[in-house]
Amino acid sequence: MSAITTSLAEYRHQLKSNRWGLWLFFLSEAFMFGGLLTSRFYLWGDTRPPLDQNLGFIVTVVLLLSSFFMNRAETAIAHDDRKNFQLNLIITAVLGIAFLVGVVGFEWQGEVRPTDGAYGAVLYGMTGMHALHVLSGLIFIMIVFFNGRKGHYSAERHWGVEACAVWWHYVDLVWVFFYPALYLMGTVIHP
Amino acid sequence: MTQQEKKAAAFRQGIIVLIVLAALTAGEFFVARSLNGPVAILFIFAIFKAAPIMQYFMHISSLWSEEEGH
Amino acid sequence: MKTFFSLGLIRGIVSQLIVTAIGMGITVAVRVAMGLPAWKAEPAAVVGALLGAIGFMFGVGALTDWLKWMKGEETPMRHGPPKDKPAWTRYFTVDYNHKIIGVQYTVTGIALIGIAGSLAMIFRLELSAPGLQFLTADTYNTFMSAHGIVMIGGILLGVAGAMNYLVPLMIGASDMAFPRLNAFGFWVTVPAALLIVSGMVFGGWDTGWTGYPPLSARAPLGIQLFFLGVYFIGLSSILGALNLLVTVARMRAPGMTLFRMPIFVWASVATSLIALTATQLIALSFLMVLVQRLLGMGFFDPNLTPEAVAMGAPPGNPLLFQHLFWFYSHPAVYVFILPGLGIISELLPVFARKPLFGYKWIAMSSLTIALVGFLVWAHHMFTAGMEEYLRLPFSYTTLLVAVPTGVKFFSWVATLWKGRISLETPMLFVLGAISVFLIGGLTGPPNGTVTTDLQLHDTYWIVGHFHATMFGGFVFPFFAAIYYWYPKVTGRMFSETLGKLHFWLMTPSFWVMSLVQQQIGLMGMRRRIADYDPALGIQAQQVAITIAGYIIFASVLVMIYNLVYSYRHGKIAVANPWNSRSPEFQIPSPIPEHSYEQPFLVTGEPYDYGLEGSVYISIKPDIANAPVAAK
Repeated sequence: MSAITTSLAEYRHQLKSNRWGLWLFFLSEAFMFGGLLTSRFYLWGDTRPPLDQNLGFIVTVVLLLSSFFMNRAETAIAHDDRKNFQLNLIITAVLGIAFLVGVVGFEWQGEVRPTDGAYGAVLYGMTGMHALHVLSGLIFIMIVFFNGRKGHYSAERHWGVEACAVWWHYVDLVWVFFYPALYLMGTVIHP
Repeated sequence: MTQQEKKAAAFRQGIIVLIVLAALTAGEFFVARSLNGPVAILFIFAIFKAAPIMQYFMHISSLWSEEEGH
Repeated sequence: MKTFFSLGLIRGIVSQLIVTAIGMGITVAVRVAMGLPAWKAEPAAVVGALLGAIGFMFGVGALTDWLKWMKGEETPMRHGPPKDKPAWTRYFTVDYNHKIIGVQYTVTGIALIGIAGSLAMIFRLELSAPGLQFLTADTYNTFMSAHGIVMIGGILLGVAGAMNYLVPLMIGASDMAFPRLNAFGFWVTVPAALLIVSGMVFGGWDTGWTGYPPLSARAPLGIQLFFLGVYFIGLSSILGALNLLVTVARMRAPGMTLFRMPIFVWASVATSLIALTATQLIALSFLMVLVQRLLGMGFFDPNLTPEAVAMGAPPGNPLLFQHLFWFYSHPAVYVFILPGLGIISELLPVFARKPLFGYKWIAMSSLTIALVGFLVWAHHMFTAGMEEYLRLPFSYTTLLVAVPTGVKFFSWVATLWKGRISLETPMLFVLGAISVFLIGGLTGPPNGTVTTDLQLHDTYWIVGHFHATMFGGFVFPFFAAIYYWYPKVTGRMFSETLGKLHFWLMTPSFWVMSLVQQQIGLMGMRRRIADYDPALGIQAQQVAITIAGYIIFASVLVMIYNLVYSYRHGKIAVANPWNSRSPEFQIPSPIPEHSYEQPFLVTGEPYDYGLEGSVYISIKPDIANAPVAAK
């Protein structure tokens, strides 16, 4: 984003470094999310809390769809299609907000409370940490949207968009592992 | 290929990935429902979902591909 | 006065204070809105501290460029000292030059090590006689815990300082790959250090630096500030490691293949791999205790509420904390020692005037230590009540670490063998490091073997072992590095006499300290306690440890005096005072703003000291006629 005055060759060298930096950060974050997953298996074993599986499925589909539209937005700007870029970015953000509403507005109002033993701790720990990342992604999308409206991105130079898109997909990727761990794996015990 | 065709192909690829991911998501949901949450099978589903996301959505291969641009 | 208030550091601290107050106010407002009693210290302190640290980053100006990017503005790279202010002010302000940041890291690191050392002086005096002299048990615990964590913070900063300063110079990069991130990584450690130190004032904490629940779940308020401080230092560590890895991967000079990199670069890569990934786990484990205290999320709480029982929820488990915690905190010691061992390997050939023995083995041994280090964490838990079948595998992996470490020792001895050794101060510290690390290394395997560890666990033996590894693996090599690169950084020579005095005060004292600690550990002295039974008959040894500790402290003061005095009054240093082959010694002292006028060309092996006609780099390369392989 800052590199508008630099030469294209310099920009591309920095671009590749940026990609490596972002992916190394993903690797780092993967250990944190992995630690949460490990805690889930260590504490829950092969049981799972009584959560609404339909709600889990719906939010998962919503997040998956948002990832799809984010991919469309990135593809659009890579071909200098600004109109589609802006449109798809908005759809992504709306779906992202819908996901947050699903988790915070519905799941967190359900039967399991944060203080309910290991179920509460791990459920709120995992969804909370993930929701924070979704929130950061939404802020990122907002920034990219307003910069895009000012015409800051082109087919040659849109690292900002790419970073935002890859970050958003990463948040989806984490949910790919969190969703079955929270909603699908193991059985519900009825004491 | 013209620029227009390339763009259409890129959009089409996104749709294909979406269909695959949707099918896998529905699949894991029904497997979990009918087999009582088998951990190993659901993990395999998750890995098969993660792979196309990393390759097609996150462009992981751009890290080592020689082509420097976008 | 005006200059003073324009310093980034001062602005940062002021805005940290203001934003902390605002954060506390917000907490009160939210609690009132939720119908809770307005004031509760813990949530107010946590929210205030968290926002305050972010406030510091705004105030110091580490976020300015990124905020402009968010608005779509361009921010050209700043170079050189500030135009309208004295040159020294750039050390107290956000600066993007890796050499400045390296010095900032190093000096802050030494300051933290000094604070932590002073705390040790206080409680060591307390321990010189049985019974409680002048500290209460709680103050003792707080000081002992703070000694541990402030030291760790200081060491991390020292490591980061050396890597930041040296690695770009050694690989011929103009700067790090992400200079703004680099500055962010340094500056976030300042509010972190302030949080940890203020934690001592606001209630302190009595858990040791490990912060095990359930004790940490009911420790005084200070532990929350400690958790947050560690969280931010961890963030710095992760971002620094990321930056370094990208720098080494992408910005090496032409011809610098992986196996032509200086050995310190290899050590830095190995260190960064650990810091990048494992650090997340200590952050996570501390965050879990933080939310357990704050929101009642019982990750580590074995008690269940009636509602949870009705739901069939399993209880939390304190052992989970130890697993997560040690997954970082064991590899963390390799973060501390690998750069130190790299410095030993880097300096030995210079002062022995011989090629480094087994370069590739040394390079690979650093990586091996780092990778095996990920698989050893549970050896800290042999007595913790974890699953018994885990004991033996972790015992074996732990002993496996001795193999690559042994490779390093043999290489050092072989490098020294028949060398033309000259004993300047840096070399003395390298030899001291080897002797001390040998003590630490040999006392390691008994702790890794289950049968012996069951006896040794939590005794002063461990204290002796651990301090020997830290001094041998970090402190001695770090001091060697400071003396070795001091002329390069400042353009002045230090006083050789004072340097030698420092060494001869510190080294024998350390041997005494470490060995006696181990001895009284075997005789039954427990670690981490303020008092001990006079019937143990170890008071003479305790006095000896205390005296040795004070001599070490005094010797470090000699070094600091030496460094400060020589900065103004030392002899002007030549470009290459040690006759080194390393690239950074081929340019003037002190190093110019942009280091190398143009990229150098690597044409030979780094450590071929004493070999006729061997060349490592050519600083004014004829790129056009260079061999194809070197491009």
